[in-house]
Amino acid sequence: MFARWANLASGIGLVGACTLLLVAGRSEGRTASGWEAGVLGWSRALVLLAFASGLVALGAQTAFLEGHPASALQPAAILRVLLETQGGAMWLVRQALLLLLAAFLVARANVEEGADWRAARSESAALAIAALVPLAGAGHAAASEPGTAIAIVIDLAHLAAAGLWIGGLPALAALLRAAAHDRGADARPYAVRAVRRFSRLALASVGVLVATGIPGALRFVPTVGGLVGTRYGRLLLVKLALVLPILVLAWLNRRRLLPALAGDDPTAGSPVMRRLAGLVLVEALLGLLILAVVAAMSLTLPALHEQPVWPFGFRFSSAALLAAPDGRNRVLIGSSITVLGAVLALCALRLRASRVSVAASAAAVAALGLGVALPPLAIDAYPTTYVRPPIPYDVASIASGERLFQQHCAPCHGLGSAREGPAARGLPRSPADLLAPPTRAHTAGDLFWWTTIGFPRNGMPGFGDRLSDEERWDVVNFLRALGVSRGARTLPARLGVERPWLAAPDFVFGVGPMQRTLGEYRGQRTVLLVLYTLPGSQARLAGLAAEHNTLTRFGLEIIAVPTDAAPDALRRFGAAVRILYPIVTEGAADIVTAYRQFTDAPHTEFLIDGQGYFRTRWTSNEPGRDVEQLLVDVRRLAAEGAITVTPPAH
Amino acid sequence: MRVRTVVLLVNLALMIGLGCGYLWWGREARRLARQVAAVETGEREYTADGIIRAVLPELRVLVVTHPEIPGYMPPMTMGFRVSTSLRTIEVGDTVRFTARGTPPNMTVVAVDKKTP
Repeated sequence: MFARWANLASGIGLVGACTLLLVAGRSEGRTASGWEAGVLGWSRALVLLAFASGLVALGAQTAFLEGHPASALQPAAILRVLLETQGGAMWLVRQALLLLLAAFLVARANVEEGADWRAARSESAALAIAALVPLAGAGHAAASEPGTAIAIVIDLAHLAAAGLWIGGLPALAALLRAAAHDRGADARPYAVRAVRRFSRLALASVGVLVATGIPGALRFVPTVGGLVGTRYGRLLLVKLALVLPILVLAWLNRRRLLPALAGDDPTAGSPVMRRLAGLVLVEALLGLLILAVVAAMSLTLPALHEQPVWPFGFRFSSAALLAAPDGRNRVLIGSSITVLGAVLALCALRLRASRVSVAASAAAVAALGLGVALPPLAIDAYPTTYVRPPIPYDVASIASGERLFQQHCAPCHGLGSAREGPAARGLPRSPADLLAPPTRAHTAGDLFWWTTIGFPRNGMPGFGDRLSDEERWDVVNFLRALGVSRGARTLPARLGVERPWLAAPDFVFGVGPMQRTLGEYRGQRTVLLVLYTLPGSQARLAGLAAEHNTLTRFGLEIIAVPTDAAPDALRRFGAAVRILYPIVTEGAADIVTAYRQFTDAPHTEFLIDGQGYFRTRWTSNEPGRDVEQLLVDVRRLAAEGAITVTPPAH
Repeated sequence: MRVRTVVLLVNLALMIGLGCGYLWWGREARRLARQVAAVETGEREYTADGIIRAVLPELRVLVVTHPEIPGYMPPMTMGFRVSTSLRTIEVGDTVRFTARGTPPNMTVVAVDKKTP
């Protein structure tokens, strides 16, 4: 951890120091020249630190990859890591660039001429930035897919911007401190020019840091649960908490102290310069703390891959309004007040006079608005609320969940549309209606918590000691399917203007020895899933077979599933009816069990778009739907492309 | 030597090094592509399992749904020309078949029913 921090901090510091020399321009006078020599010495020390911490980090990485600490000192093991891993290749490139940079910094070259000075300083800055590339190429960004190259470029831009700003602060503080002293008065015009140029560069760097930090954070911490419920997310919060005071300090320095330096007069602004030097040093120390947090983050599993543990007993969700619709007006009024606060805050930014009082009023109004709007949105939350189901939302899990539900839950909750089973009598409160909308509004993690711990005040027992984790997730997946069953039955028979909202559970199906999954068609084709019953469906299936070529041309795959799950489904058609689209002979039973939540008809056709959402549902109980109409819908879907986020597989 | 000349030479060396690496990479990729292409040409033979979807004796064609045939074809339903007898083959039969030829002109030379 310390080696990572030292490696990162030295890399960032090198970029800042080398760039500040270039930005400040060629030094004139005794003090400025002394400062330039000092910064060069500081850079040499940083290169040494970067090299040494790199060696320690390589040893630690070798020990980690080889599985025992002694490997850190074994040349063969180190060589394996260097030559056979991406991290090793990046390490070699970084050390080579550092060596080259060291050569430039150590060589006592003659830079009397302006062009030579610029060439030497530019090369140092360029090499320092180039040495950050391998850091980005060996971090979390390099391991993220898809979009690895973009993630690395974003990470590199973030590191470089941090280097230009945070890395330059110690050297800048040293210049200001030297110039603020009576003996260094000759360097004041130089220091004022340097700090002004640096300030512009830092402002641009902050813009880059924000622009690259947001996509980076969203990539690795995509949910609120991940932000407060994982170690990586909490480290990100600590980092942001440290960034805030550093930004406030930077803003104060730029708005208050920088103008007070007042021109290039040699005697001007000495006390201000001393104060500015102190505050810049505080900024630099905060920056070092941020780098320590970043080093810890680089050694922590990103929130994306960790199951979050929600630390609060409540969360905010619009689902709360489903149970208590009276709160809608309060939320509306509160959010309007919050917007008013935001408008006031924007006005405060534009104002010159009374800015502080207007900003304080804006904060008070926004807080009042949130105080009004948020309470009705609060609902109970549990440690598992944001846990991602480890078991995929597929028909095998749903079918297993239904079997477990019938055995353990139906005695109280009832079966099908019945709200109560025989054992519900005598309970303190009626069992929850699992078909009601609030069930749909809860997260899978909420359902898992209730299934595990129970609902003691309602008399519901927990099943944590009777069912395994996997079985409880199966029950949860069944409840998720049950929760959307009413809505699924209202899906239109023709493609309308509704946004897709209901994900089709994935399944594995076999046609003889060929095995495929519904998920394989995502991003490739639209699927018409046909649940059929012979002999009633025979004519319809033959009609689809006749138009199969045309439908295929427009990106449709038909998958037909016999509702009786007959393994000899193909033979039943005989040679007379030539059907060449997949007729499922393996896996039909689970598909029918799960999809029966969405239909009772003997023949149902679900049109599933390229993203895996149900779009239409037509049953044989409804008026006939000719293949021409189907073709129109398929063509519309083919032209539509992705119009919402792809549903998760879990 | 002047510093700016040294910087110029160093950068030139770095660029030449990068360029040579890029060219070497491209040459390696082309060499591997040629090797793959060389393996893929010429007469080949594949054996796979499948389930019969249609029998067209008049065209001597068999329509089979088969899993992925490594190195040849993804899982799909496809018609194959057949040079062997089709008399005992029926829709719904699970079979093991052998296709021979130069892609894409492959012919099924053997079809054996698998016991259910």
